[in-house]
Amino acid sequence: MLRLTAALVLALGLAFGAEAQVAGKLTLYTSQPDRDAAQTVEAFKKRHPGVAVEIFRSGTTEVMNKLQAEFTAGDPRADVLLIADAVSMERLKADGRLLPHPGADLSQFPAEAHDRDKTYFGSKLITTGIIVNNKATMTPKSWADLLKPEAKGQVSLPSPLYSGAAAIHMAALSAIPSLGPKYYESLSKNGAVAVRGNGAVVTQVAGGERMYGFIVEFMALNAQKKGSPVTFVFPTEGVSAVTEPVAALKTAKNPAAARAFIDFILSKEGQELAVAQGYLPARRDVKPPEGFPPLADVKLIPIDVPAAIRADEANKKAFADLFGG
Amino acid sequence: MAATGAKAGADPGERIILILLVVFTVLVAALPVARLLLAGLAPGGELDLSVMSEAWSREATRRALWRTLVTALGGTAISLVLGTVFALVVTLTDVRAKTTLIFGFMLPLMIAPQVTALAWIQAMGPGSALLRLIGLAPAPGTPHPLYGAGGIILLLGLHHAPLVFLAVRAGLRNLPRELVEAASASGASPLFAIRTVILPLMGPALTAGAGLAFVSSIGNFGIPAFLGIPAGYTVLVTLIYQRLSGFGPRVLPEVAAIAIVLALLAAIGLLAQLRRLRRDDARTTTLSAAAPGWSLGRHRVPIEAALWAFLGLVVVVPLLALIATSLVKAHGVPLSAETATLTHYAYVLFEHGATGRAFANSFTLAGLAAFILMAASVPLAVLADWRRSRVANVLSVVAEFPYALPGVVLAIGVILAFLRPLPILGISLYNTAWIILIAYLARFLTLAWRPVAAGLAQIDRGLDEAAQAAGAGFAYRLRTIAYPLLAPAMAAGGIIVFLTAFNELTVSALLWSSGRETLGVVVFSLEQAGESTAAASVAVMTVAATLALMLIGSALARRLPPGVLPWRA
Repeated sequence: MLRLTAALVLALGLAFGAEAQVAGKLTLYTSQPDRDAAQTVEAFKKRHPGVAVEIFRSGTTEVMNKLQAEFTAGDPRADVLLIADAVSMERLKADGRLLPHPGADLSQFPAEAHDRDKTYFGSKLITTGIIVNNKATMTPKSWADLLKPEAKGQVSLPSPLYSGAAAIHMAALSAIPSLGPKYYESLSKNGAVAVRGNGAVVTQVAGGERMYGFIVEFMALNAQKKGSPVTFVFPTEGVSAVTEPVAALKTAKNPAAARAFIDFILSKEGQELAVAQGYLPARRDVKPPEGFPPLADVKLIPIDVPAAIRADEANKKAFADLFGG
Repeated sequence: MAATGAKAGADPGERIILILLVVFTVLVAALPVARLLLAGLAPGGELDLSVMSEAWSREATRRALWRTLVTALGGTAISLVLGTVFALVVTLTDVRAKTTLIFGFMLPLMIAPQVTALAWIQAMGPGSALLRLIGLAPAPGTPHPLYGAGGIILLLGLHHAPLVFLAVRAGLRNLPRELVEAASASGASPLFAIRTVILPLMGPALTAGAGLAFVSSIGNFGIPAFLGIPAGYTVLVTLIYQRLSGFGPRVLPEVAAIAIVLALLAAIGLLAQLRRLRRDDARTTTLSAAAPGWSLGRHRVPIEAALWAFLGLVVVVPLLALIATSLVKAHGVPLSAETATLTHYAYVLFEHGATGRAFANSFTLAGLAAFILMAASVPLAVLADWRRSRVANVLSVVAEFPYALPGVVLAIGVILAFLRPLPILGISLYNTAWIILIAYLARFLTLAWRPVAAGLAQIDRGLDEAAQAAGAGFAYRLRTIAYPLLAPAMAAGGIIVFLTAFNELTVSALLWSSGRETLGVVVFSLEQAGESTAAASVAVMTVAATLALMLIGSALARRLPPGVLPWRA
């Protein structure tokens, strides 16, 4: 008990010590949309004016591969990551790339939100459902509806070769018996096309080029709020979910600032900012954005992480063969 | 006797400069290409075709090869027709405002392909702010008319038509005047003379132009990336890009194997070009041949109107659409006085860190590349021409290859050569801007060299020989004779290198790292992320910068050898 208290005090001391004196350059690799990432960094810098943050933004898959190339080159530049999914984080952790942050304050988070060894921490819940253009003739209720003739040539997908949420989504849907691994093949036969990121899906559906798309919910809801003619649907089979985890790299050149960034993302202030941007926060004491159905009503498709890691490469290859790329 | 052969007069300065040029060319041009061949053909050190056969056993790869051929050949056909017709009309007839017409026709070549693609997407789509303004937008739910093979072929054709135009126009300038006069004297109408006399003589020029357009089309990244990826229509270049960004560095051998086949395709187009290179030596062709200047008579006004309408449609309208998108509040909303806003410009300039960095990076990289290559091209040209150095002559041919090869091929070679930490130094160039600079230097050396070589051919070699006889060393002669006399030609080469590098995406899409983004990369990333309005804002600013530089070049034109600025051809 004494040891635990001592560790706690030490951790808090470290946390506060770090808080007081973080400065210098921090390099953030993130898959957040450009504007959200810029706002997040702006808010972080209000708390830590001494830190200059450089953002590199792309889809999670691309961020991971950029990192992989940097590991090969022997000089990874990122200090801290904020990417879509825990599966990617698990792979980095297995390679010994992540720096634990034992001092993170997790009292307001459900236990399953973060890694047991405190290397990465889920910050939100981002689900993937269906975006529908309001002029569409059919309103799909399920994933299976997108195979109907009404949706022929009208479906736009984000690519797992770019987006982390799309990779998880593919693993999740393939595990549902009624859809199964053949689902993507049937989509391709029904004329669905793959773009790169979720943002590009919104562009296509809001612009009326296609009527339906797989989409992370916050982007659809934000577009709707801005006046784009779209609606978001939670399909009956359920939605897949990612947690947008944050983590520091072992090779971070500025570990203090990296941990301060994690603390900020997990802080009440950081989570409230996420809510303002339209995300579902991971923290229990922060209210979800308006217009979200209560979480209890949302059916989440469970994801088997080890299986998803094993299937990842094969899924991406299959996707590339079906949809190009 | 000292003056009889250049070799006899070689001083240490000359040898050092030659060695520097050899090292430079080998390092930036030959090494990456060799590394690529090794990775694709002999990954284990000895010939091993397993990577090659595995890469090509996949359906997706073969499909992409087929699509590359379809789009490149289709695009080349459009370029051939447009480029030839435009060159014939502008060169042989008395249409007015030729300089402006040519400037407008060359513009698509000078504007980055990804910007052109973005502009056309905005101009033609169901979400088009411009078409909505006049109520002509396609119905919702219709796929974008330009996505897929048709749109790629159309834009490749428009983008590369200026290449055919330049080749044909150069050919027409060397047209033996007597033949045309003989045809006219025997009563042939201009159209008949074109069909029976002029076009047959243009055979080599047409082959060269078509070869160039074909090679440029198979290597183009911006157009198939913007118009093909959203439709699942993948060509080899976008396949390579998507493989690398989707699977990471462990697929490098596989993409090297794909890139080698792409390089072989390019070699076919190159053969056509080599014929032109041999013919292009300014000293073997007469410059006296004058175009007939046929009077169009009452057809002049309709023909001029058609030319201007064409330029308006393919150049002005897409750019207006791009501007409209950059001003609209949210994508898909019609443009009106209430929805117009400058917030996207403010956003990319002041909030989106990557855009600011990209402007700085692209300016610096393009500026450095232009400066270094201007400086290097003069001794290279002097050694190859005045000094008759066989080594320098070989170098100037070697320098053609990185430019002629598709950019993605060079980029993969550069990654392979410089990804792992350098021996001895222990640092990797991969995460730095240097790796992009190396690729630019390799790729654009020949662009800087061509105008300088053209300028040099007009200067009497006796100046150099006289100075040498008076005891001036090679470096001193370079400084006092070649550099000052060639300054305008150097500037022309510098402007072309700068513009090309400034608008470049193919190479930097694979070589950029965080903080080292180029403008092309930023436009591409923003569009991929669905930020069309922000992408359009950045694109509009790059077009403005490009236009400004082209006009500066035009202002210099009086002091330049004819034909070195493509838009003043």
